Amino acid sequence: MSFDAELDAKGLNCPLPILRAKKAIAALNPGQVLKIVATDPGSVKDFEAFCKQTGNELVSSAEAGGAFEFMIKKS
Amino acid sequence: MSKRLSAEERRDSIIEVAKRLFAEKGFHGVSIDEIVKQVGVSPSILYRHFSSKEALYEAVLHEFSATRESYVETVVDDDTCFETVLRGMTRVFVNSIVSQPELLKMEMHSQLEGNSAAQDFFINRWKSFTDYIEYNLAELQNQGKIKPVNVQAAALIYQGMVRELLLLKCLQKTDRLNNKSIDELVDQMISLFMQMIY
Repeated sequence: MSFDAELDAKGLNCPLPILRAKKAIAALNPGQVLKIVATDPGSVKDFEAFCKQTGNELVSSAEAGGAFEFMIKKS
Repeated sequence: MSKRLSAEERRDSIIEVAKRLFAEKGFHGVSIDEIVKQVGVSPSILYRHFSSKEALYEAVLHEFSATRESYVETVVDDDTCFETVLRGMTRVFVNSIVSQPELLKMEMHSQLEGNSAAQDFFINRWKSFTDYIEYNLAELQNQGKIKPVNVQAAALIYQGMVRELLLLKCLQKTDRLNNKSIDELVDQMISLFMQMIY
C-alpha cells in the first residue's frame, strides 16, 4: 500500500509514538496516509483507540519481525 | 458441598495468592509450599499450571502487564504542551499504581533481589515517562525554549520524584503530607520540575 509520510517510532514506548503520529497527521491533507512503524506491543491497542477518538481511519495494522506497522488515513 | 473450581479458576486463584505473597515478601521470601498451603491445593496441582516458581512469578508479571496504563486520552486533546501532557500521564500512572500497590511492592523487592526479568518489566513500565520526557526536552532545547539540560538525567530525576510520592502514598504508614491528595502532590511536583527546566 502506498503512503504519503512515514514515522519511525521503533524503540519508543507509548504515548510518544501516538503523540508523534498526531503531529505528523496534522501536516497531511485529508485522504493522505501516514505509515508508522513501532515496537511497543501497547501501540496496537493505543493506535486503535487513537483512531476511534480522532476519527482518522486505521487502514491496516500488522505485525512483522517484532515490529508493528500501522497505516492511518487522515479524515 | 464445596464447588469444584475449573482449571482456569484454579490458575487464577494461585496467581492471586502468589501476587500477594510476592508483594509482601519478594521472590526469594516465598516458597511453593507456602503458596500451595494458602491456596489450599497440593504442589502437584500448582506444577500442573506452572513449571517452576520462576514461571509463576513471570505469570504474575504478565497479569500486571494487562493493566498497563493507556495514555491515549491524555494526548488526543488539542492542548499537547509538555506540561499538560506530563501532568495527565502522571495522574493516570500514579492512580493506577495506588489502585494496585502490589505492583510497587514487587518492584521494590526486585530492585534488591536483582531479578532481571522483573527489572526489565518495571523499567519498561517507567519507559513511557522517560521516553516522553527525553524526546520533548530535547526538542524544547533545540528550539531554545529551555535551559541546557541533560535530558536523560532529567527524565530519571522525574521518575525518582514520582516513585517517592508513590512510596509515601502506597507503602509508608506516616502522617507526613497526609492532608494532601496524590493529585495535589503531583501538581506540586510538576510545578517544581517546570521551574527547574525553564
